[in-house]
Amino acid sequence: MIRIENLTVQFGAVKPLDDLNVELDAKICGLIGPNGAGKTTLLNVLSGFITPKAGRVDVDGTDLLSLSPVRRVDLGLRRSFQTEQVVEDLSVYDNVLALLDHLGVARAEARRQVSKALHFVGLDREAHRMGAELNLYQRRMLEIARGLVGAPRLLLFDEPGAGMTESEGETLRETLLAIPDEFGPQILLIDHDVELILATCSKTLVLDFGQFLTYGPTADVLAEDIVKRAYLGVDV
Amino acid sequence: MTPPKISDALIILPGRYRTLWEIPVVMLILTLIAAFTANAYWISTLTSALAIALAARGIGVLYGLLGLVSLCQFALIGVGGWTMLRLGHGTGLPFELNVLLAGVVAAAVGVVWGAPALKLKGLYLALVTLMLAGAYQVVISATGFPDGGQGWLGRADAIQRLMLERPVVAQNSTRYLIYCAAWATLGFMAAEWLRLAKPGRAWAMIRKDDRAAMSAGVNLLVYKIIAFAFAGFLAGVGGALLAGSVGQLDGRAFAASESLSLFALSVVAGVYNWYGALIAGLLLRAVPSLLTDFEINGYAAIVFYGTALLHAIITAPRGIAGQISGLITRIKALLGRKTPPRQATRQEDS
Ligand SMILES: Nc1ncnc2c1ncn2[C@@H]1O[C@H](COP(=O)(O)OP(=O)(O)OP(=O)(O)O)[C@@H](O)[C@H]1O
Ligand SMILES: [Mg+2]
Repeated sequence: MIRIENLTVQFGAVKPLDDLNVELDAKICGLIGPNGAGKTTLLNVLSGFITPKAGRVDVDGTDLLSLSPVRRVDLGLRRSFQTEQVVEDLSVYDNVLALLDHLGVARAEARRQVSKALHFVGLDREAHRMGAELNLYQRRMLEIARGLVGAPRLLLFDEPGAGMTESEGETLRETLLAIPDEFGPQILLIDHDVELILATCSKTLVLDFGQFLTYGPTADVLAEDIVKRAYLGVDV
Repeated sequence: MTPPKISDALIILPGRYRTLWEIPVVMLILTLIAAFTANAYWISTLTSALAIALAARGIGVLYGLLGLVSLCQFALIGVGGWTMLRLGHGTGLPFELNVLLAGVVAAAVGVVWGAPALKLKGLYLALVTLMLAGAYQVVISATGFPDGGQGWLGRADAIQRLMLERPVVAQNSTRYLIYCAAWATLGFMAAEWLRLAKPGRAWAMIRKDDRAAMSAGVNLLVYKIIAFAFAGFLAGVGGALLAGSVGQLDGRAFAASESLSLFALSVVAGVYNWYGALIAGLLLRAVPSLLTDFEINGYAAIVFYGTALLHAIITAPRGIAGQISGLITRIKALLGRKTPPRQATRQEDS
């Protein structure tokens, strides 16, 4: 569970997050909002790349903001990026192993976890290939696999479905849905694909220009007028 | 719809370090060819090329693996050389121990000089490190290198200059070439091992993106320090071997422009393969010798380096070594024994 209190982020005159208060309790939680709403900014605060001007963030009882980015990884925080960050000159296997390197996992256990993660996202047959050889879909899946090793507690995914075909998106959906049961973490999922959010996230948070718009069961949230107006650009 | 199938099968890949043996084999062959064919002049040229190749491998680690531009690597050769001469004249320690200590001192200096890299990148880091090389140039041309004299600087007067003794096992210059090749082989192997192991993975993450590295749990500070220390160590060992080759060093030979040339030639030669460093050493030492052979002004070398650098940046970003590597891959494919096979992922149910 992520508890956010009075969170404000300010860059000069811009406030990408303005006094945000919310408790994200869904196992798979959606995060939507128009471009520039502050979604990525919130992820950057959670992973420690942005120090907020004010506020508190609590993950499963741990005060997150006092920890360094690396320490947060130790505690099970994982993330992907809006622009994928697969390392081209590492093998697929090593791209995942690189994360376990710093968690003090024994070699045999590391092999087991990397294997399981790669099987899970369907990249086991590509394990020996270089990151550079992967297509976009495979890169996105590899980023997810990276998040599954080393006892993850909170996964932050920033538009993992961007640029995927319909059938790829379907596999992504199935994969995301299966993660909590198989690996245990809570997921915070940003995506512009409302279908994906609706299919995977039991609850969803909507931001608009750094402001909290609403939070609740995804279907209800999507039906709200303010969301339709702000996010879907529909006149109601 | 069925949920994804989860398998417990372990993924087994070909051994991570299976290509390490190539380094001693190639080095042995090249060294034997050189030892049996080169004349005295070329033996000494090749010896200093090997020493410089070690430092070039350090650039390969910093730039090729981490993406950090460091323009003070030749100055670190000087630091290693100074330490070697100081210890060699001032203590009775064995040659090999002094080489290692020269490496350690240069590693420490390399970490201090690399400190700006914790905040700076790209052009700014390049400028700062170039200024450090310039500062070193000023200091070393004033103090000179130790040559058996008294005092902390170890300077003798011009008449009583002493030469550094070579190691017992490598008194003549051919043997000393082989001796340096052995050190270079170890240095190249250590670099390759680091590249393939945990530090190499962390460096690759850092080169990709600082934030991506941090979100993979990589401690940027620690892994940048390891890289600067290792690169400095290689330069220091190279400097020590250089000092042993001639027996003394000339303070005027350590201008900041040498660091610049060494970096440029490392890129030309290729920073992504271990033998790129070897080629870089050859380019820096053999090209001026060749030009002199043809009675062309030594400054023409600068023009040559500049042109070669432009060529590398525009058409061959992986350098000469990258082109050789591509050629080898194509030959292997032609011979039909391409390793590893495309289906290298063997699965063993457990
Ligand atoms: N480092 C920064 N410095 C200044 N402004 C920033 C910075 N990062 C984000 N912003 C601004 O904060 C606002 C929110 O950006 P953010 O990237 O969080 O939006 P987003 O919801 O992820 O949008 P998108 O859907 O386009 O990815 C934008 O106006 C952006 O320009
Ligand atoms: Mg975004």
